[in-house]
Amino acid sequence: MFTRLLPLFMMVLAFPAFAAAQEKVYNASETTLDNGMQVVVIPNHRAPVVTHMVWYKVGGADEAQGHSGSAHFLEHLLFKGSDVIGGEPLAPGEFSKVIRRMGGNDNAFTGQDYTAFFQSIPSENLETAMRMEAGRMRGAKMEELESERLVILEERRQRTDNDPRGRFGEQMAAMAYINHPYGTPIIGWYHEMEQLDLAATKGFYDLWYGPNNAILIVSGDVEPDEVFTLARDIYGQVPRNDNVPERVRTTSPVMNSKTLVTLEHPVIREAVFQRLYRVPSFRQDKEVSLAMQVLEEIMGGGPTSRLYKSLVVDQKIASSAGLSYSANTYDDSGLWVYANPLPDTDIVNIEAALDAELRALIADGVSDEELSDAKTRMQDAAIYARDSLAGPAMVIGYSLATGSTLDDVETWPAQIDGVTAAQIQEAAKAYLNPDAPRDIPPVSGVLLPKADLAPIVSSEPDVAPEHDDAQNSEGETE
Amino acid sequence: MINQKMRHCARLSAFMFVAIGIMALSALPAYAQDRDRLLDIQEIKTPKGITAWLVEDSSIPVISMQYAFKGAGAVNDPQGKQGLAQLLSNTMDEGAGDLDSQAFQKELQDLSISLSFNSGRDHFGGSLKTLTKNSMRAFNLLEMAIMRPRFDDDPVQRMRQSNQSRIRGSLSNPDWVAARVLNDVAFEGHPYARNSGGTLSSLDAITSDDLRAFHRAHLGKNNLVVAVAGDIDAERLSVVLDNIFAGLPDVDIPSADDVAVQNIGKIAIYEKDIPQTIVEMMKPGIARNDPDYFTAQVMNFVLGSSGFGSRLTEEIREKQGLTYGVYSSFYNLDHLNAMAVSTSTKNENVPKMLAAIESEFETMRDGGITQDELDDAKAYLIGSLPLSLTSTDKISGLMLSLMTDDLGVDYLDRRQSAIENTTIESIAKVSKRLLSPDEFVTVLVGQPPRDTLEWLGEIHMVETLPNVE
Repeated sequence: MFTRLLPLFMMVLAFPAFAAAQEKVYNASETTLDNGMQVVVIPNHRAPVVTHMVWYKVGGADEAQGHSGSAHFLEHLLFKGSDVIGGEPLAPGEFSKVIRRMGGNDNAFTGQDYTAFFQSIPSENLETAMRMEAGRMRGAKMEELESERLVILEERRQRTDNDPRGRFGEQMAAMAYINHPYGTPIIGWYHEMEQLDLAATKGFYDLWYGPNNAILIVSGDVEPDEVFTLARDIYGQVPRNDNVPERVRTTSPVMNSKTLVTLEHPVIREAVFQRLYRVPSFRQDKEVSLAMQVLEEIMGGGPTSRLYKSLVVDQKIASSAGLSYSANTYDDSGLWVYANPLPDTDIVNIEAALDAELRALIADGVSDEELSDAKTRMQDAAIYARDSLAGPAMVIGYSLATGSTLDDVETWPAQIDGVTAAQIQEAAKAYLNPDAPRDIPPVSGVLLPKADLAPIVSSEPDVAPEHDDAQNSEGETE
Repeated sequence: MINQKMRHCARLSAFMFVAIGIMALSALPAYAQDRDRLLDIQEIKTPKGITAWLVEDSSIPVISMQYAFKGAGAVNDPQGKQGLAQLLSNTMDEGAGDLDSQAFQKELQDLSISLSFNSGRDHFGGSLKTLTKNSMRAFNLLEMAIMRPRFDDDPVQRMRQSNQSRIRGSLSNPDWVAARVLNDVAFEGHPYARNSGGTLSSLDAITSDDLRAFHRAHLGKNNLVVAVAGDIDAERLSVVLDNIFAGLPDVDIPSADDVAVQNIGKIAIYEKDIPQTIVEMMKPGIARNDPDYFTAQVMNFVLGSSGFGSRLTEEIREKQGLTYGVYSSFYNLDHLNAMAVSTSTKNENVPKMLAAIESEFETMRDGGITQDELDDAKAYLIGSLPLSLTSTDKISGLMLSLMTDDLGVDYLDRRQSAIENTTIESIAKVSKRLLSPDEFVTVLVGQPPRDTLEWLGEIHMVETLPNVE
């Protein structure tokens, strides 16, 4: 479920800006509890409901080697019985049933850098949801482990193994992130998922879960002060977890060879070209990240963007083309360039056309008009971003869990406003130059129909942005 | 927005009070509203005869308009030109009036306007979302797209190729394949069996003239319904609607035949070399205007529409670990009332899965549900309504679905009281009517163990995908 939702939210995230540079995007308030839990409240009084989320700053990338999928497995097991602050413990499955009886929905999802649990409920039930969520922060029972392992294996089959494009995407990420945990899928490798046991999962939970590694975000028909008081009363009862380690991940070595991942498969009926670059996340390099966000808007943002206009409209060699970048990862983010050749176009020409656009960007930069139009669109999108209950909570959650501050999110419009054409050109030159080697070269991927079955035909870009494992999430299904 | 009768929301109701006061003083076209309703829908009939519903809300400077031309959807596509309505929806925003495709799209982008069209099986429609500050130009662009679309060769060809690309790309997705087979088998002989997204060859056969002719014959003033939410008042909206839509002709669209679920008792298998089988099942359902419809909704909530807590999920996912997801749902079109079950499981578990589904249907048909289950279902179905009203898009989309199904502005209120009045006895009655486990047509895509399925029904092997090439 959530892999489908995520790219949308990421789009919102790539946009949140606001016309008046001084004005805050979401008008959120924040505090920190004595036990270290961060609390953010986004008032929105359009309907008498709230979205209540707890984000843990731990995800697939924090797993021990050989235990891939344990962060996500744990997320599932946190629905299998847990304590309640000031109430009776919940039996397996009961958490969701209680929320349902309130007229609410609940779910959870796991990314490489975060694991989040949420409920959307009538606002008068916020306290009950808090008591339950706070209870499972340290008091999970993790029953019914065996049947739930079967469920996550079915989830992997459904998401990844049932369509050859799934494993193809995994392999691209694995090549791009050699010796870095983003190269391991969040759902886990099948053979390791089969072996996940209670000891490993419980160990992961005891190490990482606690108020000092968590962010509470409440969006909706509430006032900050009442939420802060409730949070102090309820989440404040959960003791710190002093085991929580620093987030230290293994890093990729310097490399010297370009990688090409290819798949020819009988059920593939159309060719796809995509390329994955590692570029800095917002946490790693704010200036480059902001420049990349505007670059994305100019190169890849819709039917009048440079890549679409050049390859699809003018040259007529592709049925789609684009570029996507996500700022919110803890370590190196991924930037994707992709295009889908029309039936009579050789994939080599597609790659050449994309490279030509990158070279033009590096040589000539962007025009003043392109830059100001892009900024206007990004700022307008911030107004739309507020037209939602859960959306703002998601945006803030992604950002805070990957090392941004609330102020970074709120003042994003002013930061985007400050991006210059020179910065965009410089970022392109440093990270996307087809003619200069990088220590971590990009990985190209080509999907091809099996030659004897069908001619090469055109494609759509669903492989590229949605299989970006660095931002991928696996969710409890609804 | 949501009335304070339902939940406290002082700020909002104060706003509503002011808004209503202002409107009562203005000389307005005919409209009606009722403050006691769950959703304060204003019914608008413009001087030139356009029908619209409006929920006004100026808390965010955004306007969301969704509209439909009833009966103008893909059901009208000729066999050899499947995908015609779909291609029309893709090309109407690709140039209009004096703006070619790129100029039109550039204006939309630069003004942050979302303007697009869509075609369903029954209806053809569209949506417009704009910031208030750009709304004048947004409405203007919509009028151009509706009244003066260009259908230039280049963008038509581009959209044709994009659709063909989508079809080819979908062929490796077993869920898409299963849906295609299900439509073909369950609606055999009816236009619903066709591929509303077109086939690779039918898309090639569609010309710009076909698009113009379909547009002329199906988009009329008399089959138009409009739903609007957000930062606009009834007076302005009335003028806007007449400016956009009043120039449309009246149209006369021949109605399609009704269809019952076909091939009941049969199992269609499409073999695919994948580890997990997609299971799609369909059986006769219940009409949205049937007196027992809401009772059936409560029943289905307990059975399988609700995910966690539903019987299908609890037994098949939580206890047996057979799947990541299993759902039952009602599927209603203008000419079809069906009930569907959708799930997936590793190939060797397909017999277990089908037996488990059958057993849950049987158990509820024969035993109904418990009082606790009923109370929980009512609490959710009534209590969760505000969650579907948290954005302008959600509000306009909900209203439009009520309008296309002729359900009336009081629908949400009728729904609430009907759900409140449901009893375990009324559920038992509707369960007997709807849950017979031997009325399914079943589609399996994957490599299910065929020899262990024969007890279930007559097996039909699907060799080539229908309406794709």
